Amino acid sequence: MFSQYFGNYLLNRGLIRPDQLTDALEYQRSMRLKLGVIAVNAGYMTPAQVEEIHNMQKKVDKRFGELAIEKGYITEQQLEEMLATQRQGHLMLGQALVDRGHLTIEQLQEALDNYRKEYGMSSREFNVVRKDDSLEIEQIFRDYGEALLGKLYSDYVTLLIKNLIRFVDDNPTVEINQLKSDITAQWFASQEIYGKINMLTAIACDRDVFVKFAAKFAQEDITEPDELAQASVGEFLNLHNGIFLVNMSNNGVELEMNPQQVETNRTLANPGKAYVITCHMTWGRFDVILV
Amino acid sequence: MSKSRPTILICDDSLLVRKKMKDCLNEFGDFTIIEASTGQSSIELFRQYEPDLVFLDIVMPDKNGIDALKEMMEIKKDVKVIMLSSSGTKSHLKAAMEAGAHDFIQKPWEKSQIEHILRNIF
Repeated sequence: MFSQYFGNYLLNRGLIRPDQLTDALEYQRSMRLKLGVIAVNAGYMTPAQVEEIHNMQKKVDKRFGELAIEKGYITEQQLEEMLATQRQGHLMLGQALVDRGHLTIEQLQEALDNYRKEYGMSSREFNVVRKDDSLEIEQIFRDYGEALLGKLYSDYVTLLIKNLIRFVDDNPTVEINQLKSDITAQWFASQEIYGKINMLTAIACDRDVFVKFAAKFAQEDITEPDELAQASVGEFLNLHNGIFLVNMSNNGVELEMNPQQVETNRTLANPGKAYVITCHMTWGRFDVILV
Repeated sequence: MSKSRPTILICDDSLLVRKKMKDCLNEFGDFTIIEASTGQSSIELFRQYEPDLVFLDIVMPDKNGIDALKEMMEIKKDVKVIMLSSSGTKSHLKAAMEAGAHDFIQKPWEKSQIEHILRNIF
């Protein structure tokens, strides 16, 4: 998650462009060893077991290692070994930005120092975060994400990033902003969540991105914003919101949702407290709106 | 799969989900497949075709899947209905099982889950 938040910080400060960040994240991802590969190489798991865990991750919001232990495929000690192997080969976002020529080392150092000061992190916390140490990082970022967005929206956005990686197989860069004016979108897929908490969630984008999003998620040859394309983008939102509802249910908050809707040329009047999560993918940009 | 050409009703408002389920079912056998995109139309098609198996979404326009399930159970008590939802919350699971669902699958499903269900039923 650090990559996404630090990337967002660099974008907001105008230090890099979205395409440069996307490029660095892709480079970072291509260099990262997956835990499944490490597990098979170490002889701890079979490829079929790895595939099974990957499929489970599409339904439950849990880490690879956590599920593999629950299934009895690996021990906690073996997971520690695997994570250590992964960390050794892990390329930090800052290094990826420098390697790809988007920042100089001096610019990176200055940005990291400013980031640490602005978010008031201790040196220890910052070192954990900077190393992308996933076990500790989630708690630290839960605190900073919550300070920025509030707990509910922070949980929602964290899950959104994970689900874009899981279901659309891309490394999104997100910019988070408060909605300050009306928003008009050529294509607008939305779904209402209701119960103890009421939220309108929506994906807003232009035609081209809508079609690409649909094709990526459905893994179908979609070239027009036809009924299948609309069903695909709507279903991504439905799937993501469904997992969010399961997480909330596990925390004792039961919520319901209405069927998803897809509209064209929709204008959403500024409803007051709302956020726009702009997601930069390798194939285009779309907004997720949370009201 | 002993029975010849069983009828399966897929009820989901998403064309994509219906297509993926149809593709999956066709891999595992020869079925007559009927599709419904709303809760109300799923009841009408259920009465008309008396399917052997139903895959039923929960969040649908005009009538939710739990209510549709209850009506189907009243029409035909021994029908096998598999609930299919992206939202496997505790309250949904409880409501579905209490209403008589045969099983509950959280989306996205794995082909092996569908194959297992088909083998058990047919």
